[in-house]
Amino acid sequence: MKIKKACFLIIFLLVFFIVTLASTGPTYAIVNCRIISPPLPIIEKGIIIIRDGLIEAVGVQGKIQIPDDAEVIEAEGLTAYPGLINAHTNLFLEAVPEPTQQPAASQAQAQPERRPVGPNLLVIDQLKPRKTDLDSFHKIGVTTVLVAPQRGIFAGQSVLLNLNGEKIEEMVIKNPVALHVQFITERGGYPNSLMGTMAYLRQSFLDTAHYVEHLIMWKKTPRFLSRPIYNAFFETLGPFVVEKKPIIFTCNNQEDLKRAIRLTQEFKLQAILSGANEAWRVSEELKAARLPLFVSLNFRPPSTSLYANQGEAARRRAEQEIYPANPAELHKSGLTFALTSLGINDASTFQKNIQLAIKAGLPPEIALKALTVYPAQILGLDSFLGTIEAGKIANIVLCRGELFDPKGQVEKVWVDGRLFKIEKTPEAKAPTAFSVAGSWKVTVTSPLGEMEMTMELEQEGSLVRGTLISSYGRWEIRDGLLSGQELSFNISLTMMGQQIEASFQGRVDKEIIEGTIQIPGGTANFQATRIPRAD
Amino acid sequence: MKRFTFFISFLFIFCTSILWSGGNLLLKNGTILTVTKGVIARGDILIIDGLIKQIGENITPPSGVRIIDITGKYVIPGIIDSHTHIALDGTNETGKVITSEVRMRDVLNADDTSIFTALSGGVTTVHTLHGSANPIGGQNITLKLKWGKKAEEMIFHEAWPTLKFALGENVTQANRQLSPGEERRYPASRMGVVAIIRRELERAKNYMAQWDRYNELKRMKILNRPLLAPRKDLQLEALADLLRGKLVARCHSYRADETIEFIELSHEFGFRIACFEHIPEAYKITKELVAERIGISVFMDSWAYKMEAAEGIATMPAYCTQQGVLVSLNSDSNERIRRLFNDAAKAIKYGGLSEDEALKLITLNPAIQLGVDKWVGSIEVGKHADLAVFNEHPLSAYTRCDLTIIEGEVYFDREAYLKEREAAQKVNPKPKTTGGNQ
Amino acid sequence: MRSQRKWLLFYLLTLLIFFCPLKAEETIVITNVKIIPIVGNDVEKGTIVIRGERIEEIGSNISIPSKAKIIDAQGLIAYPGMIDGYSQLGLSEISSIQATIDYRETGRLNPQVLATEALRPDSMHIPITRSNGITAALVAPSGGLISGRSGLIHLYGWTPPEMIVKSPIALHLELPAARGGFRRTANQPAEGTRLLDEVKTLFDQARLYEKRKLAASKNKLILLPEFDEKLEALLPVIHGELPLMISVHSANDIRAAIKFVQEQKVKAIFYGVSQGWMVAKEIAQAGIPVVFASLHQLPPSWEDGYDALYRNPGVLSKAGVKIAFSSSSASLAKELPYHAAKAVAFGLDKREALKAVTLYPAQIFGVDNLMGSLEKGKLANIVLAEGDLLELRTVIRHVFIKGQEIDLSSAYTEYLEKYKKRLEKK
Repeated sequence: MKIKKACFLIIFLLVFFIVTLASTGPTYAIVNCRIISPPLPIIEKGIIIIRDGLIEAVGVQGKIQIPDDAEVIEAEGLTAYPGLINAHTNLFLEAVPEPTQQPAASQAQAQPERRPVGPNLLVIDQLKPRKTDLDSFHKIGVTTVLVAPQRGIFAGQSVLLNLNGEKIEEMVIKNPVALHVQFITERGGYPNSLMGTMAYLRQSFLDTAHYVEHLIMWKKTPRFLSRPIYNAFFETLGPFVVEKKPIIFTCNNQEDLKRAIRLTQEFKLQAILSGANEAWRVSEELKAARLPLFVSLNFRPPSTSLYANQGEAARRRAEQEIYPANPAELHKSGLTFALTSLGINDASTFQKNIQLAIKAGLPPEIALKALTVYPAQILGLDSFLGTIEAGKIANIVLCRGELFDPKGQVEKVWVDGRLFKIEKTPEAKAPTAFSVAGSWKVTVTSPLGEMEMTMELEQEGSLVRGTLISSYGRWEIRDGLLSGQELSFNISLTMMGQQIEASFQGRVDKEIIEGTIQIPGGTANFQATRIPRAD
Repeated sequence: MKRFTFFISFLFIFCTSILWSGGNLLLKNGTILTVTKGVIARGDILIIDGLIKQIGENITPPSGVRIIDITGKYVIPGIIDSHTHIALDGTNETGKVITSEVRMRDVLNADDTSIFTALSGGVTTVHTLHGSANPIGGQNITLKLKWGKKAEEMIFHEAWPTLKFALGENVTQANRQLSPGEERRYPASRMGVVAIIRRELERAKNYMAQWDRYNELKRMKILNRPLLAPRKDLQLEALADLLRGKLVARCHSYRADETIEFIELSHEFGFRIACFEHIPEAYKITKELVAERIGISVFMDSWAYKMEAAEGIATMPAYCTQQGVLVSLNSDSNERIRRLFNDAAKAIKYGGLSEDEALKLITLNPAIQLGVDKWVGSIEVGKHADLAVFNEHPLSAYTRCDLTIIEGEVYFDREAYLKEREAAQKVNPKPKTTGGNQ
Repeated sequence: MRSQRKWLLFYLLTLLIFFCPLKAEETIVITNVKIIPIVGNDVEKGTIVIRGERIEEIGSNISIPSKAKIIDAQGLIAYPGMIDGYSQLGLSEISSIQATIDYRETGRLNPQVLATEALRPDSMHIPITRSNGITAALVAPSGGLISGRSGLIHLYGWTPPEMIVKSPIALHLELPAARGGFRRTANQPAEGTRLLDEVKTLFDQARLYEKRKLAASKNKLILLPEFDEKLEALLPVIHGELPLMISVHSANDIRAAIKFVQEQKVKAIFYGVSQGWMVAKEIAQAGIPVVFASLHQLPPSWEDGYDALYRNPGVLSKAGVKIAFSSSSASLAKELPYHAAKAVAFGLDKREALKAVTLYPAQIFGVDNLMGSLEKGKLANIVLAEGDLLELRTVIRHVFIKGQEIDLSSAYTEYLEKYKKRLEKK
């Protein structure tokens, strides 16, 4: 009896819950459309019913009744695809100042409390979705993104979003998704080399395991055992090292992939390898390791690569001809993977690169799977995401022509059942990716007066490097980031024996950057104008 | 498009060896400088499965074996550079003073073009190390320069695992510019260098004892208290391995006095020094080096680039050799690495070594220092077929490396390289070249 | 303290080397020697008569004067002393210690400085260099855009005036190096041109300055222009009297530099020229001689080929360019012959290589009336070697500079002798 009552209660609650939660948006019936959703068979003339944010029904035209309350979308000549999932991006993040805490210093082991706070960082706290970003992703059919943190070795934990509007709470599908680890170095302290980073990762995993072991032992028999000193870093890492929650390793070159595989095997981690634009070079190792792969469509050869070290012409050619073939090569060697935009600044380049990968031999069907069902599977969300099936989240793209064809044009996108109509863009006015590379004349206006400086910038994807030169000295630009039109970077300058951190934030408008400089105890404005190249 | 494909294939010649001959090869009619077994004026070397199968005259190879005619040319064992930093992504970890936990194995980069540069100078094996910023650096690795192969395939597994130490100016950072307000790092003197190494070795001893005690208590199983294992510390693990003899020390040192101090430390703690690096003042302490049986890996004639190198003399390598020290010449540079054979010849001029002794400085001696002389370092039946072929006597200033072979596979072939380059330039000419011939 | 004492010792040792003066006007006769005079035919078995600073007689069938010191050079080969086309000898002792470095002035424009005015005759690098057969060297300033002026010195002498052969030899202009191996891209076309434009402006200023000076000298009513040491130093260059030695590397910069030289009508020498092989004919047509920098560097870009610097001298020589080699160093100035030999291995004619370390640098620096070959009347800068002068193994037996036989001991031999006492005592 009791059980029955409980069941009732649960069912009641469930129904109530679903109804209250999903009472958003009208009901749609997309009729007469072609439905492509691998691995399901193609429906040449189909119908999709969307209600309450979910796909209520899908099938051949005529076999499914159009509900009375549905807004009918006539889709003759259009194709419906599942919304694309971009499984790794650094977009949608506001630029946060680097944590002031120094990374583990000279005696890392002896002072575990001085470890970087990275893994605790939840990217959801830094989200800053902009409508323009949303629009540009909708335009290419992306409905779902995994937003990952991007600074530090233990960068923090990512979030999976459905791009359904502006409220973060409504967008979240899963939080946190995974811990992100990068093979990079810490500035200032330890580790400041890749070899140090590897040792640091190993020691961190070992220490976490030791901490957890201590904790468990102490919980079991607290007598005659001193309790472990509470450590937030190990507390955060514990679930990933001991309970094997997923860790996503960002792998910038072929050696990084092998590094991640070795660490995964050494510490029996559950890992996803991301980045991987050189994955074809280690396909044998990847097959043997059987780890899920997020392959970036960033085709720029990594700086360690042979192709980047044979002169500019060879590098450019590799970017145009060799790296785009990575997904095709991986497919040929029998690997499955998701495709991501990691390292790519803007949606239109992502789209262009999908097309390039297909041109280089990746079957379009595989490309589609790698942006829908595969990422859903890898992230363990395929029961409700990734295909057009009844009961799943209503993420649907309606496209004139083939989605991955340069001539294809997305007309409508549903995200969580919400309809976004895509305005047709005049073809001539393709969105241009901003580049800040080059020399700039910088004028700083502060309460103390004006100061002139020169700025030399280099850009690699969204990362910006360079130097700022003034009569007081040369400063290396750190943490440079170009996100859309927003440029941010930091410098540390020494003035009168004092180390001062200055953080620059500005907006780029072709040949002019305008913004503010934050220094402890004040703000200044700056304007930079591009110095034309002499050639 | 076609032009482009061709261009890429040209690049690939440089990086993957389509000259691969499956480890079977016959070098015909060359002058063979075996280094250990004299000179064969006109002979053949038969290589099967990457090993030297036969050395002699008029060898008939099994069918299918590629034959390379090297009439008029000279063959020596592949050159071994026992101190480099190539094929790595990074050299120093300077975030800490003691970094015995870092491993060069973790940061191999098989794409480093320095590998090709080294091959073009007949180098087949390198010992690639952590830099000299820290008193205790990292764990080093020995590689065969198999250009185009994967990093893992390059590792020379039989070589001793080594741990880098460093003394003197680089560690005390004597010539480093400090920014205003920045304090000098400890250790900033040679006193501090010895003190910090001693401290770390003491800590390692403690650490080992801690683990021994834990294991003992665990075995006893009589304790009715919870027993927590000690924390595993990778930095101390490496030092414990040194004390256990699983790692051997390679110590960067310049002055004779600091070298003696380090030898004393090795006695104090009982670890093995495989080799002193650079040590321009070795000629001052040949007695001690011979008594300790410690080799030295030195520059031929680079000197006076810092105070502690002001008495480093070109007569040193030959003199030390004659006094019975095991000497090898190193490059420590991705440029010098391609002319080590020139350096070897200078040891004949500055000190009067014999040709064999001079060649040993860059072949057998470094092989002994790396613990791989059983496999490489001389041309002998049964050894790896790691060979370098020169157009003139390798100790002549006019010589040029034409062919570099590792385990019977050709990794550098100047003739093929030139052909490819010429073809590529025809397809893809440089803008307006007026240089004409090569 | 300790290192000071070491230094003191070192100074004393270096001084000792000079304690073997020969009497002036003494006659030395080298007999039974094979002579490679560079100019003229080789002599299989000949005689060289040195009187005072000069070669009095040279060849076969020469009568031996009485009261001469005779050196039987059976088995040895006589060459002219080599000339290093670019070095920091006497300007640099220990490269990481700023206090011992005098070849780099602060700032970008320093035409007024003269390298030989900072010369240290006691440099420990000089005995090592000359004991390898190098008897003269260009000592050059570097850094900035206009680094200063160089001079040619003999590698023997107690004071700068005793050592200087001719100074200044050239004004040094440095365009950015296409430095450092395969990784970096060599050509930044804009940079060289921009810098040359800057120099052009400077030259124009100097011309104007001179005009004003001239006008003032003719007319007392015109104010004398303020003395400008930098512009003053440029005047001999503008007049075509003092050559401009341009450190230039990439092909684009070389082209720009040729255009600059022709437009400005200055006398020029190129230095470095690592991508010269791409524009060999243009350099040859312009008639500008080339001094190569050390070949112990990686080529500026991968596409140039691994051997680009090695084959560069051969290509230029065949195209008709007058070439010379240099060590670009102080501590490794002794390497000069090996740079030349390396170029031979990659295509340079052997005889040309020898000329490029003897006769050609003498011609390029305008001192071929004094040195560069073994000829009657020239300075007796003679090297007696056991074999090929450019060979790594060749031991040098005797070196004469201005007729003086030089003690061949150096830091190499002295430090060793000192410690042999410790190690080899019974």
